[in-house]
Amino acid sequence: MKLFKVAALGSVAVVALSGCGLGSGGSSAASSKVQQSVDSSAKLSGTISFQTWALKNDKFTPYFTKLIADFEKQHPGTTINWIDQPGDGYADKVSSEISSNSLPDVVNLPPDIAYAAVKAGALLNLAKSDPKINQTYVKSGLSDYTYKGVDGTYAYPWYLGTDVSYWNTDILKKAGIDQSNLPTTFDGLVAAAKKVHDATGGKQFLMSRKPNLYDIMSTGAPIMNSDGTKFTFNTDAAAAMIGKYADAYKAGYMPREVLSSDYQGNDTLFKKQQVGWTTSTGYYITSLKTDNPTLVPKVIGSPAIGLAPLYSQGISVSAKSKNPALALAFAQFVTSNANQTAFVGVAKGFLPGTQAAQSDPRFTTSDGTPAGNAAVLGAKTLPKAKSLGAPQWDQQDSDYLDQQIALAMTGKQTPKQALDNAVNKANSLLSK
Amino acid sequence: MVRTHRWFTPWIMVLPALVILCVFALWPAVNTFFLSFTDVRTLSGGTIVGLDNYRKLVDDPQLRAALVNTVVYVVVCVPLLTFLPLLLAILAEKPLRGLAIFRTIFYFPVIASAVAVAVIWKFLLDDRGLINGWATHAGIIQDAVPFLSGRWLLLFSAISLTVWKGLGYYMVLYLSALGNVDPQLHEAAAVDGAGPIRRFWSVTVPGVRRTMVLVAILVMVSAMRIFTELYILGGKTGGVGGQDVSVVFLIQSSASGADGRLGYASALSVLLFVMTLPPMALLARFNRKVDE
Repeated sequence: MKLFKVAALGSVAVVALSGCGLGSGGSSAASSKVQQSVDSSAKLSGTISFQTWALKNDKFTPYFTKLIADFEKQHPGTTINWIDQPGDGYADKVSSEISSNSLPDVVNLPPDIAYAAVKAGALLNLAKSDPKINQTYVKSGLSDYTYKGVDGTYAYPWYLGTDVSYWNTDILKKAGIDQSNLPTTFDGLVAAAKKVHDATGGKQFLMSRKPNLYDIMSTGAPIMNSDGTKFTFNTDAAAAMIGKYADAYKAGYMPREVLSSDYQGNDTLFKKQQVGWTTSTGYYITSLKTDNPTLVPKVIGSPAIGLAPLYSQGISVSAKSKNPALALAFAQFVTSNANQTAFVGVAKGFLPGTQAAQSDPRFTTSDGTPAGNAAVLGAKTLPKAKSLGAPQWDQQDSDYLDQQIALAMTGKQTPKQALDNAVNKANSLLSK
Repeated sequence: MVRTHRWFTPWIMVLPALVILCVFALWPAVNTFFLSFTDVRTLSGGTIVGLDNYRKLVDDPQLRAALVNTVVYVVVCVPLLTFLPLLLAILAEKPLRGLAIFRTIFYFPVIASAVAVAVIWKFLLDDRGLINGWATHAGIIQDAVPFLSGRWLLLFSAISLTVWKGLGYYMVLYLSALGNVDPQLHEAAAVDGAGPIRRFWSVTVPGVRRTMVLVAILVMVSAMRIFTELYILGGKTGGVGGQDVSVVFLIQSSASGADGRLGYASALSVLLFVMTLPPMALLARFNRKVDE
């Protein structure tokens, strides 16, 4: 009887615990996995899900509603369920979707999250199913989704952005800085920051940010070695650049709270007119119209100082989609030149990821408004923009580098120590 | 005695609770312990690595900072949250007009969302916040006090927030305990010439000693598991240069993202569990002693 009781209880426990296993049930690496190719000529029918990242709002919802309606009209018998995820914690959300085999059929991913998904075998190799991919989309966008050691391309480039510089002309005037001769180098920026500091008695600032990995890349430091197995950006040139930031901070040319990770960034203080320089995409003035419309006429743009970073967004297809033909067709539809151009019409300042759009005069001709000027500046900067080329660099690495640079700027360690620590940590975090 | 039910009837009664306990508490705990010996990542299976994660714990400078912060948090929070709520409860217990309003005011921070409260505190303590703005304007200070960017100031700002938020909760615990102290003891002590302070130490404190121990241990365990206050006030990297992290902070940052180190985060979780064992054992022992 006692044995029977134990067995009965044991079976309950087994039932309760079944389905739980080691870790998150991730799949094996995709690099060695032979992927299916999708028959793109198959008749389209059925239902798929489409996930975007923080795009369901007053500004973009009408665009997506129309986009989906157009597709469903062109392909009767198909249904697209649109899901949108909030901006915060997107990597965690996508990871849990992959772990639970519920990744939407078509999904908007940045290159770093896509890389983790590719390693888990969660994304379809689009190059295998779409022979025209290299003729349709821009090389820089495609290369962001083509990873070392993994065969294939895993997203259609969707919209691309880069940083440009924005200046508050009131603050420039106060400091006697010539608007037609804005700083183009970091040293020039520091000199201008000194002028602002001296002219306002340290009450206003020009610079208001810590350096990041793009600034390190600007110094010519290689982010990773050639085979992408180790981070290697702890160079003397990068340390010297951080040293200059530290000196500028010590001299009081930046707000003190810039060191805090909780600091909202130069964007917030720029909008409050306490900081005279910020960097953002060509879309910035459009968003500024909502946040602080009185500031818009006072803002002028100029090309990015140092290296212009490339920010890519892509549209991927789930490798486990139950309707891959429809998913692929919809991904192509979303990223077609016409639809991307229409999307960028709403998201002014970004550029489509299609080759056809690169020579489109609409993106290089301003309508004369500050927002139009900024959008054109962003579009013209894009061909020179560079991405990190290191999808292994994730939020944990970025946070740790931020911490180490903050410690270097407070003088608790040397810039070289900060970089060495960041490189060692990032290498220890690389998954095997 | 005749049994009126089959042997499994009680088991059926407790089965739902048992299943929930196993699925949501017991199994995750066992799984966490098991994962701490693996190098499992968010999206990859991982392999058994023995004590490797525990070796990494020893070499992790951030963990050392987290342990120092935890010790400071415990050392400061435990006495403050053990005695201040008791004094508040004694005050709130008095049958005076209008005290009900004060009870509500003291309890309000408990029901307010920790995030909302921390955001308000951030607004107060920021370099350009209300307190610095007012003090600078009044000429009390020249430069803003770095409440949110100073290594220790941020930690003590977070401690202040924790204490402020906990006062009302523990006050309610003490109020119920004070109700059990025989008023005749106070009367007898007063007749013998004991003043209010003497009565507090000789009558009130012994009367609520059991609650005090419970509160102290609850505060200790909560302080070891601190996260929200530091995260909201200090940001996602834990203050300037990550100097104000806690163990839970490290668990969160290690496990998050598409390539989160679940194995290492599990080892940190096991460490935190081990840290909370002594106070819990102390509480169990104290309760046993009182029962005897």
